Order: sequence, then structure tokens, then C-alpha cells
Amino acid sequence: MDYDVMVIGSGIGGMESSIKLGDMGYKVLLVEKEASVGGRMILLSKVFPTLDCASCISGPKMSSTINHPNITTKLYSEVMGIQRDSDGAFHASVREKSTFVDWAACTGCSECQTACTVAVPDEFNAGLVARRAAYIAFPQAVPKKAVITRAGTSPCVDGCPAGIKAHGYVSLIRSGKYEEAFQLILDATPLVGTLGRACYAPCESECTRGDLEATIPIRRLKRFVADRHYAQMQGPGIELPTSNGKSVAIVGSGPAGLTAGWQLARLGYQVRILEAEAKAGGFLRHALPVYRLPEHVVEQDIANVTALGVEILTSTKVTDLEALKAEGYDAVLLATGTPLATPLGVPGEDANGVLTGLDFLRRVRLGNAPDLAGKCVVVVGGGNVAMDNARTARRLGAAEVRVAYRRGREEMPAHRAEIDDAQVEGVAFEFLVAPITVEVDESGAVMGLRCQRMQLGEPDASGRRSPEPVPGSEFVIACQAIISAIGMGPDPTPFATLTNVAGGGRIAVDPMTLQTEVPYLFAAGDVTSGASDITQAVGAGRRAAYMIDNWIQGRVLGNFPALDDLLLVVDKKEVLARQKTYSHREPIVADTSFSPAPQDFDELELAMTEAEALAGSGGCLDCGICSECQACVTACPADAIQLTKREQTSEIKVGAVVVSTGYKLFAADLKPEYGYGTYANVITGMQMDRLLAPTRPFNTVLRPGDGKVPDRIAYISCTGSRDKTLGNPLCSKVCCMYSVKQNQLIMGTLPLADVTMHYMDIRAAGKRYNEFYEQSKDMGATYIKGRVAKISEKENGDLIVRYEDIENGGKIVEAEYDLVVLAVGIQPNRDVEALFTGEKLGLDEYFYVAEPDADLEPGRTDIPGVFVAGTAAGVKDIVDSILHAGAAAAQVAAHLEHSKIKTEALV
Amino acid sequence: MSEPEIPEPRRIGVYICHCGGNISDYVDVAKVRDALKDEPDVVVAETTLFACSDGTQHEMIRDIQEKKLDGLVVASCSPKLHQITFQGVAKRAGLNPYTYTQVNVREQASWAHTDDHAGATAKAIGLVKAGIAKTRLSKELKPLVVKTLPRTMVIGGGVAGLRAAIGLADIGLGVYLVERASHLGGWVGQLGPMFPDEHSGHDHISFLLAEVAKRPSITVLTNAELVSKSGSFGNYIAEVRVHGKDELVTTEVGTIIVATGFDTYQPEVGEFGYGIKGVLTLPEFTKLVDRTDGPLTYEGKPVRTISYIYCVGNRQVGGNEYCSKFCCTATVHASIKIAKRDSTVHQYHLHRDIRTYGKYELLYTESRETGSVFLKFPDETPPTVELMDDGGLAVTVVDSLTGNEELKIPTDLVVLVTGSVPRENADLTSVLKLPVGVDGFYNEIHPKLRPVETVVAGVMIAGACQGPKTSSEAVASGLAAVTQSAGILLKGFAELDPLVATVDQAACTGCNKCLPSCPYEAISLIQCDGREVALISAAVCKGCGGCVPICPENAIDLLGYTNDQMMASIEAIAKEPVS
Repeated sequence: MDYDVMVIGSGIGGMESSIKLGDMGYKVLLVEKEASVGGRMILLSKVFPTLDCASCISGPKMSSTINHPNITTKLYSEVMGIQRDSDGAFHASVREKSTFVDWAACTGCSECQTACTVAVPDEFNAGLVARRAAYIAFPQAVPKKAVITRAGTSPCVDGCPAGIKAHGYVSLIRSGKYEEAFQLILDATPLVGTLGRACYAPCESECTRGDLEATIPIRRLKRFVADRHYAQMQGPGIELPTSNGKSVAIVGSGPAGLTAGWQLARLGYQVRILEAEAKAGGFLRHALPVYRLPEHVVEQDIANVTALGVEILTSTKVTDLEALKAEGYDAVLLATGTPLATPLGVPGEDANGVLTGLDFLRRVRLGNAPDLAGKCVVVVGGGNVAMDNARTARRLGAAEVRVAYRRGREEMPAHRAEIDDAQVEGVAFEFLVAPITVEVDESGAVMGLRCQRMQLGEPDASGRRSPEPVPGSEFVIACQAIISAIGMGPDPTPFATLTNVAGGGRIAVDPMTLQTEVPYLFAAGDVTSGASDITQAVGAGRRAAYMIDNWIQGRVLGNFPALDDLLLVVDKKEVLARQKTYSHREPIVADTSFSPAPQDFDELELAMTEAEALAGSGGCLDCGICSECQACVTACPADAIQLTKREQTSEIKVGAVVVSTGYKLFAADLKPEYGYGTYANVITGMQMDRLLAPTRPFNTVLRPGDGKVPDRIAYISCTGSRDKTLGNPLCSKVCCMYSVKQNQLIMGTLPLADVTMHYMDIRAAGKRYNEFYEQSKDMGATYIKGRVAKISEKENGDLIVRYEDIENGGKIVEAEYDLVVLAVGIQPNRDVEALFTGEKLGLDEYFYVAEPDADLEPGRTDIPGVFVAGTAAGVKDIVDSILHAGAAAAQVAAHLEHSKIKTEALV
Repeated sequence: MSEPEIPEPRRIGVYICHCGGNISDYVDVAKVRDALKDEPDVVVAETTLFACSDGTQHEMIRDIQEKKLDGLVVASCSPKLHQITFQGVAKRAGLNPYTYTQVNVREQASWAHTDDHAGATAKAIGLVKAGIAKTRLSKELKPLVVKTLPRTMVIGGGVAGLRAAIGLADIGLGVYLVERASHLGGWVGQLGPMFPDEHSGHDHISFLLAEVAKRPSITVLTNAELVSKSGSFGNYIAEVRVHGKDELVTTEVGTIIVATGFDTYQPEVGEFGYGIKGVLTLPEFTKLVDRTDGPLTYEGKPVRTISYIYCVGNRQVGGNEYCSKFCCTATVHASIKIAKRDSTVHQYHLHRDIRTYGKYELLYTESRETGSVFLKFPDETPPTVELMDDGGLAVTVVDSLTGNEELKIPTDLVVLVTGSVPRENADLTSVLKLPVGVDGFYNEIHPKLRPVETVVAGVMIAGACQGPKTSSEAVASGLAAVTQSAGILLKGFAELDPLVATVDQAACTGCNKCLPSCPYEAISLIQCDGREVALISAAVCKGCGGCVPICPENAIDLLGYTNDQMMASIEAIAKEPVS
């Protein structure tokens, strides 16, 4: 037996049962779903009829609970399933949700919540204000420990092959923390400026806001922070790492090699990158056209790497990896990409005027562009490289550029935007054509491309319909130059003899660890995968660096947490369902002016203004709630934030169970005639209690619509209670009294305000309750009998309450108020239905836990050994809840003594 | 008794609580702190939003340990609320809890002087300085550890007392169940089907009596009354007089649960026509209903019309101001029974509010659905009952639900819905020194913090002696008292505050003046070195201090409130007030 009794729920009832059972010497496990004990009472202002402040009553009980030698608390935990065993005891699964904070280290200093960049409605303030995703439940929380709210991984983060925290930097930018945003991206890769321009932004394809009016401009926000950073400083702006005495050689300085070098250097490795070309950057410098990725941006990004002491040896082609290792490196990373263009494979391919796409783009970047002025150019292929070629050819003055692709437009692998932009820039397309022969004139120069019409057949293995020739459809496209961009592959020569080679000349690696058959040799990027994109290469570079570090340090290689251990991606539907309406936000679109005949290689896309960046990032829906921006990690002086922490489930055996799961408040928007949720100045009783509480969100009672201090305040009792139309014919018992209490508190806080309560019956039933009600009348509150029919709103936010004035002749009256408080009632907390997995816990017809013999056996349910305390068994005020919880404790003790199921407790 | 001296200078921590505005809205707590932070021996002076919160408690513990404090002062609310809380803080920090002083700047300063912020602040400063002065002279007292007896006396054999007795027996405690009447069962034993589940009160009591009989650890004394209580917490000697027997039954018990129930309001003759034939109180009416079958008759005549007048003897400004809580539901429940027996009976409910709270609302609905008519009369215009010339009854009522029309209802029966009143129990109240509230019911220490405890240690209250309750609520509070008793007794020992009077026997002249001053009979004369001197039993002494000023030789001192401490406190508070 782990505990004598498990108490579920730490509201006032659960705490009382736990303390009393602990006092009697039983070992108690108290499970609470929130991060603090205390339930709802601690959130109240004062309590009737003594007007003690709720904190003064509940606070010490919370403290006693948490400090009791016989009580163990599991907070932020949920009971998943309880089963009764044959011996009469119970076993239960308790899921301890991850707080993402090491509570042993957390001091409750709230630095994390100050730093946090994500705001969510504060449930502990009844939604009146916002709290942060990193938060301490409320000021008197016990224990006072922080929690980070994470619903899962945001789709943008989940969709990034580089593992960049897109949501994180968007939320940092929204908070004006531009440099922090830059640093967050830099944590993944040095190529911040590059990705801000040349990335195809898979994050944006996943963005939930895209289901509303348009995606958040995530990529251009990245460029915004990169531009800002580089305008202020060259280099990364981070402290130089201390050397760990180990060294790594990286072959290839494309995005994979640069990212791996950056990561390893930050860990203290001496890194040398060997680059065959005369300049570093790989395809970033030799393939991507400068109108998409200006030269200086690549240089700024590379300077981040070299600033850390990474050496880049250019014009150094590595042919012997073993010899390289023998130079004394602890490991070698191969990241040589896909430099070999796939030949066109048709007769005449060698003709003058036929180029591969890679060669063409490289020549253009190196200032050695072929003369295409006035020529007709055919680009063969349908990928992004083909688009780059076609658009570059246009810029070189080609009279006509025609892309020939063997499938249709829909099947083109190129990015949609690239195809569209190419078209705007005057590129023509020939779909469903395949080259057969290069037509060559007598001088050996190209004069045309003979093609064949194709038609789409059955889908192939990749799901794309494979093109089949249409017999007799040959024709010639007249042209003076042909650029073939139909594919590319790695150059296997350096490793072909050393380790396994996979199809297409790729090096074979373990996909998780990126290690080859040769232990010291790792490989990353396109050399392992074939042509992909920059983000894939960055992700692989990060992974390789992590694995190389683990390998050199003698650790297990394992998973790469930044990519492999993400929380499950959140469901976009759930994100959109979090609120009922979304205000329309004008999409922030790039102000790019395309020319139908582009003349130069100037960067096409303009930078975002700061206003655009703030507006663009401001639309973020915070899908995962926590954005993983790391602001809390940086801010925490105790180093307590652990975003990698995961939930745990434990199996626990107990002798008895107390269900004290409390109640839910009536959702006032289910009574649409009162306008809650529509009229800003219609609030609930719980909201008024928060406005009056010592830890109130504002320093006075004000109405939410415009912050005005109200003069005329109305209460509407029985909202959601005694109402068959809502399926709740029961009286909620507490609403009359809490309203009367608030009436008095308001008259104390706002002495000039008029307080009126519209009631059905004033149910002041309890010790000193009626006297309390009389006192309220004496203080000047007005009580009007009759149920309010309808509330409507005036333009200035004032409210018109329509009712039948029963006691004065029954005429219809429309009274005007500044603020209306709905005295919402109590509803059963139906979470109890999921607690028991074996036998069902009996409920009454209104879904409260049934007490089959409530008269003589309060607290006893229909399962032997299972007891109920407080409002889980039906509406109760605090006093009755406490007495009922005390009774439940006596029942538990009798049960345990009777069944002799007992552990040895401390007292 | 001598306590270890604490070396001087003292190291005292002072915490001034905002009480979330309850104090700080009227008392300038920062000014209070500034006024005393430089006082001698004050090492820590802090303000805090809620001193009683767990976070602040931890801060205090940290301060006590890191700054090696040897005295603690918290200026917050009444010691009734949180003295125990902060003594616990001291204990957890390893500080002797009797070096702690609670200063009440809420009830005594902020709440008392809401119109005078400067005055409230000045008063708070004085009070805190007095508290510091008291702690400065505090000594490390050790609690008195007393053995507790695993037995409880339950006084009252109604439903709450019976259920409590069974509950105590079930967790291994012995029980003396003392009932004044000749039989057990109380009010509930006289009831037929009760709301809300139609279980018969009579059957309930029969069941409980059978359960009591099964438990040998319960001793039942009927026709019995408690006549004296002596001894101390956990070890009370309680004497019971059993009617008809000369000898008192002497029992030794650890705790006492008082569950003496209530009486029903008995109207004066003429009050709403009471005294006229056909005007009944609710208990009289329910008895009539429960003891007959078929269509209701009264004095041989069929009852065709019943008028219920609610809140008789309750909610009366200047009289019983309280609401009796159960009577509305009991009445609508009775009306349903009537309607079931004869659906053609006219039933008129003349009420002020129908307080069928919680699930009882369903009965109110059912009552209306079975034909009862509800009329609401204004507070200032109660209905009148008259005997008409034809010998019939009529009720005249102003119905505010139909335009304040005055209606005259000829009726066969008038039921005065009478509630409960405190039971006449002066002897018991005096024997146990039970606190009685303004409404005449017994008072708990605090309805939420200590709902079944009284200021008399080890004496609990349960059921309707505490205030009007339904049967199931009375049972729940009875079981809550079981839990509270068990928490005290199952350990087998208890720690008592050593805040007791002691006699300096060298100075005592044996003059005998102190003996009659003690209401607890804690003082006796003993022979010491050949002369008579006074001795005070620490276990019996309640620390009331009544004997201290009586002693002509100043030979008596109260530990924790010594003459030196009180003089120093007065000195501190009486110094000229800070402006």
C-alpha cells in the first residue's frame, strides 16, 4: 500500500479531508490538477457571512496541507483511472503533467513570467486579464512554483526541418525583442540572413493563421531581425566559447557544413572547413541567384561562423578522407552536397550553347555569365533550379525564355511562388514535353530543341503520374541556348572506396545519427539525401554536430532532441476553437515589384518596416501556447526551466479514495439573452469577486468595457440555476449569498454606487446568513423580486435590464445600469465520470456524485472505499463543504479501520 | 519552573501584514515598519502582502534560520485567527513558539479606525512596539505534554449524537452517550418520511439504535445529565447524574461532543391566531400528517384548504432574526404528501422567500406542480388569521405577486411554519462554559477554520445546537466532530500551551486569597517547608490570569504574559505616539 487514502482535488473540501485524515495519522496522497493547492476559494475576495478575507482562511489551510507530515501532494497531476482490487484496495494511474520547470530549483521569483512573450487569458482572474504562458498560478499559490503552459509543438516549429523555433522568434519580435529573436535563430544556424530570404518557409505552409486570412510572414520576420542585427554589428554577438581541445574537419561549406561548424565551434571544438571552391558558401554562393540572396548576406552569415574561430580553407578539394582524419582531427564531417548535374541524356547535348543549370548559375555568380542577350533560351526541368535558371536568363537579356517540363504545372516540384514569379517575369512554359534531340547547326551551335509531347499515365511510386510519349507529336522549339536543370547528385569519389554508397552516389549513413560505416566519419546534407533544400541541410548540420559531439565525448548518440523529441504538434482546429471570433488582420504581404523584363540582379523583395514586423508577428495565434522563445530560460536565475521535461505516469496503490473534485461555474454565455461574452459590461459573479479581491487585477472595481468606475450596478440571481430551459432546475445555494456579500463589499469600495439585486428568492439559509442579508438592506442595497427577461446594450456600453416589476403592480420596467453582474450558479464537474475505469461511480440524475444514503452516511458513495467530499456531491457553501469533508474523513477512517488496510504514517 | 534564559541582546524578526488591503488600506504599513526597524533588538522588519501565505511563511523560516532570530512578532489579524499558524512557523524553523507574539493591527487598528488613517497607523505602531517589548522578555517555554484518553462523551442522543457515537466507535474510540430524555432519537425519531429521499426519520433512528447496540464500546446513559467537568484537555473527568439514582456516574474522557439539538419555536397564544382550533405549528401539522392515512381530516372534519404561514418566529427584526433553514423545505415536502393523498386539497403558501436551496428546489417545483399556490407577503404586512362567524378560519394576506391585492382565504387549517430555537440548556452551558452566540445557539471558534471546535479545548459542538440544520447536515457536522476528536485522541497525547500561572512559593504567604479567584479550581494549598503555600496545577490552569492581581504579595506570575512582559508592553505602548 502506497497511501492509506488518495484525495482527488485540493479545493477547500479536499484540503479539509486531507488535513483531518493526516491529523488522525493516515498517510494521504492529495492529487491536484492545477499547479497550486487551494481550488477556487483562494481566488475569492471575502467570504460570507463573516467577511473574512478568503486568503486568510484558505491560505493557512493551503500551507497546512502542503507542510503536513502525513500528506503527500501531487500537483499539476491528473488521476487517469482507478480500479478496485480484489482485496478492496485501489490502484490508480496518476499522470504528472510536465510543468517544464524543475520545482526543486524554482524559487517562485516570477522572473520567467516577466520575461515570457506569450499572453493567454488568466483563468485565475476569470479571464479578466491575461497571464503569461510561463506563470505562477496566482500570487498566493502554494507551493509558489512556476509552470509553463504548453499545448504541444506549434505547427510552424513542427514543420521546420531545421528545427528553428519559428513561433519563438515571432513572439520575441512581437515583444520588441529583436536581438533575442535573432539569437534564437542563431542558436540553430548561423544562416539567419540567408534563411530570411532564400528559405521556402515550410513554417508558413503550416501556419494556422493561414486558415484565417493569411499566414504570418515568418520568413520575412526572420530577415527583419537579421537585417537589424547586421546593421548594428558584424558577427554573432555572442561570447567566444572556451576550447575543449578537440578538433573536427568539415568537408564542404554549404548550409550543412556551415551549420555543423557553427554548432561544434560553440561547443568548444576547433573546426576547420575545407571548401573546394574559391569562396565559401556552397550553393548559397554558387547556385542561388543574387536577386534572391545577395552576396553580402551570405558573407554576413558566414562571418558568424568564422567569428568563433572556425577556419575555412577554400580552394581545397578533399579527395582522401582517411588522410584528412590522419591529420589529427577527432572526427570528420562530409557535407559536400550535390555538385554533379544530371546530364540531359539526349543526342547533341555537347553542342555549343547547351549548359547545365548548375554550371550556368555558378558562372553567373562568378561573373562569367554567357551572353544570352536577345537569344531564345530553353530551360529543361521543373524544379526550383530550373526557375532560378529561367529567371536568371531573363536578367541576362534573353529575348525569350521557355521552360520545358515533361509533366503539367501542377506536378512541378518548384515552389509555387517561384513558378508564379517566373511567369510574371516573362518566362514561358511548355508543359508535357520531353526533349529528344538538340538540334545543332553546322557550326555546332544550338538551333533548337526537338521535343515530344507527353501525356500523364498512371501514378508512379512517388504518387506522381508518369509522363508517357504521345506518338507522332514531335516538334522543335527554336532556340539559341539550352539550360538543363533536370537534377543533380553527389560526387562519390572521396568516399566511394571508404564506406557504403547508396543509390544516386549518396553516402550511406544512419539516418538518426548521420554516422557512416566508418565511425569517425559523419555526413550531412544533400550528400546523404540527394538534392533537398537549405532547411533540410541546416537540420542535418545541427544533427551531425550533436552526434559528433556525443561520439567524441563518448556518450550514447541517441536522439537529437531539437528535432526528434518535440511535443506532439497541436491540432489547428483546437487552436482555432480557443476563441469564438477572430478580428480580421490585414495580411502583411511583401511589396515586391516584378518587372516583365527584369534588367538587373538587385534583390527583389524589400525589407519589412518595423511597423510591418510588429503587425505581422502580432497576428500569431500562439498555437502551442509556449512559443519556446527561451526568454524564460535566459531569465531564470535558478536555471530551473526545463523545456525538455516530459510528463510521467505512476501507478499507486491506496486503501481508499476521496473524490473532492468540486464544481464548475455555469458558463454564462449559454444564457444569450443576458449578453455575457457579447456585452463587455456584463460580467459574472466570479469576475466581480476577482475585481474585489486583494489580489485584484485592477486596483478598483471597474467595468471591463471602458474601465469606467460603475455607479449603477445590477445583480441578476439564478443565472443558470432554477432554470429548466438550461437543464438545471436546481438551486445553486451560494449565489444569493455571494451576491449579498459582493453588494456589501461594493458599497464599501464604491460608497456612492447604487447596488440593485434582481432575485427570485433570497436564499439566506445558514448560520447568520439572514442577518447578513438584513445588514445588506440596511446598508442600502435594493432587492427587486423577479427574473430578468433580457439585457440589451446601449452605444456607450451601459446596459438596459428589462424585467417585470412584480411587487409594484407587475409593469414592465427597463432599468439602466453601468455594470451587470450575473450571479452564475454551480454545475457538476463531470470530470469525475472518467476517474474510475472498472466499476462506474454512481451519479445522481444531475451528474453529482451520488450518496445513496445521504441522510445517515454523508460522504459515502456506491463504491465501497470511495467517498465524496464537498461540492462534488452537490451544491454547498464553504462552511457546509468543510463539514461535509470532515464527515467524509470520518467515513474514510471507519472504512480503513474496518478493512484494516493501513500503512504506517509518521505521527 | 525555570526556563532557559535567552542571551541578550535579542534578535527579533517583525513582519507587518497588508492582509491584502484589509490592513494596508487604512494603516500605512511601510510607516509602521520604518517606525520600529531601528528599535533595539529588531533584526528583521518586513512588510508582506499576506503573512499567512505559504510563501511568506517560508521567508520567515528562512530569516529565522539564516539570521538566527530568537523572537518573532507578526502584526496582522486577531490571534484567534492565526496565532497557531505563526507558532507553527516558529516551530518549523526551530524557534520556540512561545517567543512569538501576535499583534492584532487589523481588528484593533485598521478595521476599528477606517476613518482615521493616521490614527490607525499611530495605534498600529504602538501595538507593534508593545508586541516587540513582550517578545523581548519572552522565554523558551516547553509545552505541557498530556496523555489523552481514547474516549469521548457525546451529549445528546438525537440523530447527530447517535451517528457521531457510531463514528467514534468505528475508529476505535470509546463513547459515553449521555441523553437527558428517557429515550434516544431526538426530533428525527418522531418524524415520518423526511425530505428529500422519503426515508422515515423513525426508521433512521431505529437503524442507528441497532448499530449502537452492536458496538460494545458505546455506553448509553439515558435520563442523564452532565453535572460537572473537571480535569484538563484530553483527561476530563465528567460526572453524570442519572435521573432516579443517587450516585453520580463518573467518567474519564478525552473529549466531549455536544449535540444537544434544538427546540421548535412555540408561538404565543394569539400569534397568527395560534390557540384557535385549526391553527397548528409545523411540528404539530407534520405529526398529524405522518400519523394518518388517506385524505386529511382534522377533528373529524375533512381538510379542504390549508394555508401555510411561513417564517413564524424567524426572520423577525428585533426577535429571532435568523432563518431556520429547514422549514421551507419541510413545508413544501408536507404539501406534496397532502397533494398525493388528495389532489383536490387547496394549499396556499404565504411566504417571504422560499428557501429550498440546492436539490430541495425540486420539491418546491413538485409542490407547485401538484397544485400548491404560493403567495408572497411584504415583510411589513404579515398575514392575519381570524375565526369567522361561521366557525371557520380565514387568512388575510397581501399578495405582492399579484399587485399587492389583499386576499381573504377561507381555510380549514392554518399551519404556522415555525422554525427552531436554541434549546434551554443553561446547566450544561454553565458546566462546560460553552460560548453562546447572539442568536442563542452555541458558537464554534470559526465557521470555516474550526467549525466544530469551541473555545473550550476538547469540547466540540455538532448538529443543530450550533444553529438550524437539516437532518443530513446535522449528521455531517456530527461526523466532522468525530474527525476532530479522533485527530486529538488517536495520537494518545496532546501538547498544551504552558501559558499558566505559577506561584513563587518563597513569596507566597499562604493567605488563601487566590483560591476562590480560580474558576477552574486549579489552585490548592500544600505544605511546603512546614508552611502552607499555594500550588497551581499546570494541567488544569487555563491561563486566564484571574489570580495574578489578587495576590497581595505579587507572588503569582503568568508564563508567557509575565508581569515584566506586561509592564514592558504598557511602557512601549504608552510612550508618546509618533506623529
